[in-house]
Amino acid sequence: MRTKTIGVFYDGISSLSQEIELIFNQDKSAFTFESQNKESNYWELTSVGFDKKGKALHLYHGNNPIQIIKITDSHFIANLNNFRTKNGHLGFYYKLLNLGIKFHLGIALFIFGVIGLCYVYIIPWVAEKSVVLIPDTYDDTLGNTFFEQNTFLDSIDVNKTKALNIFAKELNLKNTKKLKFTVIDSDIMNAFALPDGSIVVYTGILDSMKSYDELVGLLGHEVAHVNNRHSMKMLCRNLSGYLFVSTILGDVNGIMAVLGENANTLQSLSFSREFEKEADIEGFKIVTLNKINPKGMSTLFKRLQKESVIAIPEFLSSHPVTEERIRYIDKLIKTESFHSKENPELKRLFEEIKK
Amino acid sequence: MENTLQNNPSYKLEFQGKGNDFFGIIIVNWLLTIITLGIYYPWAKAKKLQFLYGETSLNGDAFEFHGTGKEMFKGFVKAVVLFLVLYGLLFLFIYLKAPVVGLILFYLGFLAILPLAIHGSYRYRMSRTSWRGIRFGYRGDKKEFTLNFIKWIFLTIITLGIYGSWMSINTRSYLLKNIRFGNIEFNYDGDGGDYFVLNLKGYFLTIITFGIYIFWWEKDLFEYYIDNLSLNHNGKEIALNSTVTGGGFFKLAIVNILIIIFTLGFGYAWAATRTLKYIFNNIELKGNIDLDSIQQTEENFKDATGDDVSDFLDLDFVM
Repeated sequence: MRTKTIGVFYDGISSLSQEIELIFNQDKSAFTFESQNKESNYWELTSVGFDKKGKALHLYHGNNPIQIIKITDSHFIANLNNFRTKNGHLGFYYKLLNLGIKFHLGIALFIFGVIGLCYVYIIPWVAEKSVVLIPDTYDDTLGNTFFEQNTFLDSIDVNKTKALNIFAKELNLKNTKKLKFTVIDSDIMNAFALPDGSIVVYTGILDSMKSYDELVGLLGHEVAHVNNRHSMKMLCRNLSGYLFVSTILGDVNGIMAVLGENANTLQSLSFSREFEKEADIEGFKIVTLNKINPKGMSTLFKRLQKESVIAIPEFLSSHPVTEERIRYIDKLIKTESFHSKENPELKRLFEEIKK
Repeated sequence: MENTLQNNPSYKLEFQGKGNDFFGIIIVNWLLTIITLGIYYPWAKAKKLQFLYGETSLNGDAFEFHGTGKEMFKGFVKAVVLFLVLYGLLFLFIYLKAPVVGLILFYLGFLAILPLAIHGSYRYRMSRTSWRGIRFGYRGDKKEFTLNFIKWIFLTIITLGIYGSWMSINTRSYLLKNIRFGNIEFNYDGDGGDYFVLNLKGYFLTIITFGIYIFWWEKDLFEYYIDNLSLNHNGKEIALNSTVTGGGFFKLAIVNILIIIFTLGFGYAWAATRTLKYIFNNIELKGNIDLDSIQQTEENFKDATGDDVSDFLDLDFVM
């Protein structure tokens, strides 16, 4: 079977358009036509490239030069498309492209969904697990960098620092690395742990304490951050989350990247809450292990909640004390069995710190 | 051109791409790139460029991009190796406790790669672009361009960036003057001094107007690019003229931002096609070159390494 149409031919030598009669021979799967210089041409279907341009179809042939035939005859184009579809000449790319906008929107939503799931569940999990691969020494470097960058250490209270270190030595803190306690003279009601095992406690929070079991509760919580490498985990999660978001969306456009970054910040806030809870539970265990009354922890939290806590840089794990955390500790106190007894040595040291 | 002869040809440059079609291409590309863990990227890029070029037309005939995923993939691999070597050297010197030497070599390497990437990118893109089967071409000399480029960078550094305007215009002139469209030559008349004044004015007015002037600045820059560009052949000429306006850019940007925000990014394809439509439909061509008489003169060039390196460095193709 043969079909004919009028097309415009560009010979790849000049930009002059040549009107030609194009014949498609279905039996031979080939096009034939005669160009204006009376040369006859034979193009095998498989050697021809096709490109739809609006209503027109462009046929490409050859490599150097590339010759082109433009056809606009919709009947001829439809026949040709049918023939190519029937004989499996359409590439998978065009099959996907021909599925239409609704299908494409569907794919887009699906990809977004998968990316979302990866981001919320898989990436943080992988990042956290991969913390094991980062050597401990890096935690130390990170902690040291923080110390070097912050001049607040000028106001170290040397005596209280010494006393607090002795106090901590009396306790079994289940620590894996050497801990170093520092007391800073400041009204701030806070304390924080650095990844290298440095734990900084402000006099503001110490002064507010009524009993040594509160201090043990605080130390237990901070040490749990160090023991579990929370800073490093947080860093890995944030970083990988950020990398993931910017890799996927950065390519799309700037605005999406900005939206992504903000989403990442929100996400990291919830990570931080999760780590706080873990530190509370571990801290509770440390308290009971040392036969200290965990009610001190609860008392401390309640007091902290009343005072507004000034936030400390996020990755250093600040402690917004929420209702939820207090409820959680109170529940642990009720459900867990523990034995506590008066520890005169700790009491004495606590008095010294309070001086 | 005072004598408006009756046989003076008319020209029309247009972009007709539809957001729906572009969206389909972006999504299919995205899907295939994710499924293949990124390996499909060069093919995706080829498809995207084929679409964008193909939707741009001159006097009703579309431009064509003939680059293939395979060519770009080869270039992509070479670009990856190149960067691995560069970073490898850096880490080797850090390991050898000579980080400063490593860094210097690293930056020098980058500096050398930059002009080579631009050169390679132009040669590849131009050779793979055609209109009515007539190829474009880039005839710049690699060595000459590299040496000039390094000289311009050096001057920019020692003048604390002031020479940057001259560097931009010199680079642009060199690249554009070496472009051929068959036997038609491109020409660019820009001057670094004018460009410097233009930017200075744009910068201060933008600050004074709390950023509003930026669209008019953008318009000036675009105009400076287009209005100084012309095509020449045997004493005949086509002059380009921009008809964009600051208000037009302003509207374009605002609507694009709204589209992208309210569709949570899904509308990117529509924003992109709107932008291209605005730009191409606002370039006027006037002159007396007969577009039916262009002859094929430029050779084929299929090495996409420069183009892929430029892609890595996030260089915009149009300088």
